[in-house]
Amino acid sequence: MQRSQILFVVMLLAVARGHLPALAADPAERERQLRLEIEPLLEQHCFDCHSGEEADAGLALDHFDTPISFLKGRSVWKLAVQKMQIGEMPPPEDSELSDADRKKLIGWINETIEDFECGLQPNPGHVTLRRLNAAEYQNTIRDLLGINYSPAQDFPGDDVGYGFDNIGDVLTLPPILMEKYLIAAEKISRYVIKAPPPAEVVNREHNATSLDTNDDSKTYSGSLTLTNSSTIATLREQIPWPGKYTVTITASGDQVGNEPCVMVVGLDDKVVQQVRVPNTRDKPGQFSVVMRMRAGSRKIQFGFANDFYRKAEGGQEKQDRNLAIHHIKINGQKSAKQSLSASELSPYHRAIIFDPPRSESEYPSKTRKILLRLASRAFRRPVADEDLDRLIKLAEEVQQDGSFEESIQVALQAILISPQFLFRVEPPRQPASFSEFRDLDEFELASRLSYFLWSSMPDDELLRIGMDPNRSLRDPTVLRQQIRRMIADNRSNEFVKNFASQWLTLRRLDNFSPDEREFPQWNKRVEALAKFETLKFFHAVMREDMSVLRLLDAEFTYLNEELANFYGIDGVRGTKFVRVPLDGTARAGLLTQASVLAVTSNPTRTSPVQRGKWILENLLDSPPPPAPAGVPELTEKGPLVGSLREQLEQHRADPGCAGCHKLMDPLGFALENFDAIGRYREMENGQPIDARGELPDGTSVTGAQQLRAILVAQHKEKFVECLTVKMMTYALGRGLEYYDKCAVDKILATLKNDDYRFSTLLFEIVTSDPFQKKGSRPE
Amino acid sequence: MMKPLNRRTLLRGATTAIALPFLEAMLPSSPIARAGVPTKAPLRTAFLAVPNGVHMPKWKPSEVGRRFELPETLQPLASVKNKLCVLSGLTLDGARAHGDGPGDHARSGAAFLTGAHPKKTNGADIYNGVSIDQAIAQSLGGKTRFASLELGLDGSAQSGECDNGYSCAYISNLAWRSPTSPMACEVNPANVFDRLFAAPEKETATSFAVKSRRKSVLDFALGDAQRLQARLGAADRRKVDEYLYAIRDIENRLVRSEKLELGENGLPNYERPAGVPREIDEHARLMMDMMVLALQSDATRVTTLMLAREGSNRTHPNLGISEAHHQLSHHGKSEEKQAKIAKIDHFYVQQFAYLLQSLESIREGDDTLLDNCMVMYGSGISDGDRHNHDDLPILLAGGGGGRLQGGRHLQYAKNTPLCDLYLWMLNRSGVAADSFGDSSGPLKL
Repeated sequence: MQRSQILFVVMLLAVARGHLPALAADPAERERQLRLEIEPLLEQHCFDCHSGEEADAGLALDHFDTPISFLKGRSVWKLAVQKMQIGEMPPPEDSELSDADRKKLIGWINETIEDFECGLQPNPGHVTLRRLNAAEYQNTIRDLLGINYSPAQDFPGDDVGYGFDNIGDVLTLPPILMEKYLIAAEKISRYVIKAPPPAEVVNREHNATSLDTNDDSKTYSGSLTLTNSSTIATLREQIPWPGKYTVTITASGDQVGNEPCVMVVGLDDKVVQQVRVPNTRDKPGQFSVVMRMRAGSRKIQFGFANDFYRKAEGGQEKQDRNLAIHHIKINGQKSAKQSLSASELSPYHRAIIFDPPRSESEYPSKTRKILLRLASRAFRRPVADEDLDRLIKLAEEVQQDGSFEESIQVALQAILISPQFLFRVEPPRQPASFSEFRDLDEFELASRLSYFLWSSMPDDELLRIGMDPNRSLRDPTVLRQQIRRMIADNRSNEFVKNFASQWLTLRRLDNFSPDEREFPQWNKRVEALAKFETLKFFHAVMREDMSVLRLLDAEFTYLNEELANFYGIDGVRGTKFVRVPLDGTARAGLLTQASVLAVTSNPTRTSPVQRGKWILENLLDSPPPPAPAGVPELTEKGPLVGSLREQLEQHRADPGCAGCHKLMDPLGFALENFDAIGRYREMENGQPIDARGELPDGTSVTGAQQLRAILVAQHKEKFVECLTVKMMTYALGRGLEYYDKCAVDKILATLKNDDYRFSTLLFEIVTSDPFQKKGSRPE
Repeated sequence: MMKPLNRRTLLRGATTAIALPFLEAMLPSSPIARAGVPTKAPLRTAFLAVPNGVHMPKWKPSEVGRRFELPETLQPLASVKNKLCVLSGLTLDGARAHGDGPGDHARSGAAFLTGAHPKKTNGADIYNGVSIDQAIAQSLGGKTRFASLELGLDGSAQSGECDNGYSCAYISNLAWRSPTSPMACEVNPANVFDRLFAAPEKETATSFAVKSRRKSVLDFALGDAQRLQARLGAADRRKVDEYLYAIRDIENRLVRSEKLELGENGLPNYERPAGVPREIDEHARLMMDMMVLALQSDATRVTTLMLAREGSNRTHPNLGISEAHHQLSHHGKSEEKQAKIAKIDHFYVQQFAYLLQSLESIREGDDTLLDNCMVMYGSGISDGDRHNHDDLPILLAGGGGGRLQGGRHLQYAKNTPLCDLYLWMLNRSGVAADSFGDSSGPLKL
């Protein structure tokens, strides 16, 4: 068997992985093998180049010195094994690794990186505290408050790890995002809760100089002196709204005789009140008069009622009583509307303030009642007493100078920026005993389930199960029922949108801009329709609980008239997507959908290499090793000429390239009947399309149909494993580790016995230990 | 259903063009002047990154010293040549594999401003270093409303494999506040404008009440996070640390914006950008306008702009290039491909020239804004085909507040760390550090 054949068998037919009875995993024996048999081979054939700082290709291998280190570094060793299998490594010109030794080395590494003792309970792993990503935030706001708020335009994009944007370790919270959360919380709370406008206030002050008099009384040193009873001082004031105003006058007087000065306060030539002013000039006093005023220009008037004057005579001094006005203040408060009528309130408002207080005395009880419900839903679990008390305190602070509604607005703002809302909190719990890991509690489990299938918070039904001591999501019947219900619910579109589009790398279509002259039929609209087709197709396979293998070969798809015209398929009318049978066409399954065909193309032409690589990466979980830097396209052998196929054949003549391209190219060539934007073609540049390829094991494959048949017949377990690994990564929000292998193998075994049904995959993922339990992250 | 809330709607009715202060008018009330120091414009720093290396033969001047010709790619910079240094021979060692195998794009993106060697991971335990812009920003403390401003032309949303087992976080962030906390960048110029100039209180009538309410809300959140943190394990605590930092940062900004309002009055108009333009050059220029506005108004003194994320496959139909940038950069010495790469390089340098000319057009006392800037431009990869991280294409523009002489091409010894330049910049910013990243000493400039 040729080396490349061995690789193909290992990479594509690795069905044995995890399904053969495990080799007796005797750690001592494996350790002994490493020391005595493996290390000498590595020393002799690998470490010369691949060690230390200056390692070739920047890849050092010499720090792997225990079987467990191989296990943990398995991604490196998988690639190393690939390179050894295709004969690229060790370089034939430098090394004489015998076939027997090569086999031994590959065998030992493969066994070691797959050898994990599951034991009674393997570590279910730890998920780093996950922030809601933009989609989850938006959906949670929608389900919590009933509004569509699309922050995606404003929030910075969520970073991606392991192919998905919901990975706890990768979702960071930079200040700019926090700022946006705060502004969003303020906008959202003001939108969903209508609060009466805050009271308007008039607050004006005037010095005595603002007063006009009907005689020549003048202001001296800050006060206006009224010396006789005919003087009237007038303040003209523009009053904004009708209502009660308080006029506060700072006044004093020259006090003589047996009564104090009496000031007359009037409005628009009518007396409002007489005020006794006993204060002397050195100690003015403040006197308040409340008056009702109409809006408009008003005259506020001041007179002096009890003028008194006696000349100096008979040894007595002159007696002269006068009134002095120093300062005038006018205060008014528009009576605030205390409550809003039901017709003014939105359904969101009434859902949050579901039991409004009828009087101020009810504020405390209603505040508690409303916030208990709101915070518990927002935090996806019953709010802790202490947290509720703090929220109530916050609301009560607001109630001191604001309305009840505003107090709930502010409390909602606090809830929406609380880490308990923004993060999915799963505090650790100590294992009950050695290696026995704790279950998530019912609410944590409900959240994992709902964010997995809906990208949103648990609904009331899920939360109710959590509250109900007689029901549990751990009961398989309840769980199955819930999963079914959740898939049937429209919110499961979110799973398709977020999982499938990332798994199939459809989001990269955003950056795909094919040459406009060559492909004028492609535009952003077609791009969106093509993407929608794939998601709709995925959704159908899921909802109708088909075998997941149908994703590869189902003979139907979803099209509307516009997209059908793009494909050249007749008989589809209207803008709505309908199911369209594909029998008799060259198309079936994901691989011949325009979205997938385009996202794997270059802007100017198809790329069989990229298509092959895409299949290996995303359908078979066997990413080929990266191309070495500085690929010698032109050097030594001169420029590549001829058709794309001929160029690639010349490229493969280079032993450094051959190994991997033998894997990628034939898979991609089988799809050559579809151009860079996914249209069917039989000719290119006047030449008939050649969609033949030879797989490394000698099988010849021609065209998409044969490729599908081979994938489904011979590589289905690899495909199912790939889908399982990707979906688990998405479900857990973390990359899979070596200790997850046990859970994955268990899922695969069950799936195989159940015709690979979609619901079984979901159910098995949800019931797996990594999904259900709290483990730890080994260093 | 409710229509998406839109800040623009809320602002409509109010004027959409904002008045900007001339620095001369603003200086007397700037924090510096208030502290009694002679009025001197502050030093500003900016960093710009381009992906995939450049075509060096058309970038690197053949003469060294003051008498050098600008090569083809650098021609757009002719008008500001006397305020520009071409630095050749610098090396970004952190971007090299060091045993970690492939993934040069992710590594050089992550290392470009940090000089660190990022931990190879697709997610778990992301670890890089602190970036130079953040080190400078942190040293400035609370002098400006924004410690730093991170801008980019590419959003971070992606899917699938980013680069051979490296998380996309390494590729989509230039600025790292700590080894584990990247600073996401803003890509929409309208959002930048709103952050800078449309203070949130403009949205409501009673700004005082809003501010005091906001403080109570932030206090609540702070308390909540502290309580939560006590219940979490070590790995999760780091996430809450980020949260706490972010909350405190906003609280500080609330306080600071009150202080700074006085200085922001009076002045020329800049139309609020409508959003992200379709054409990349327009987008780049709007973002550069935002940089200039931010620096001019002293809203921040440190800013970064990622012109494209490392490994970018952007196409340039306007330049007659329909192939994708990264694919082209693996040119295999094809002359045709190299010519196209040089064209792309030239395009990005044109945008850079626009920025420098804008900075140069703004007077600050007897100088220009550019005189009071250090603006660094470059890539963490030299030749996109070989992925080598030595002899990098690096430009340093501006007068550095009188400490930098332009009009020179400097050639450094092989393997001189790029971090030596960062150390020099850090020292010029007033930080008495002895090292940064893998520096060997401040660069001789």
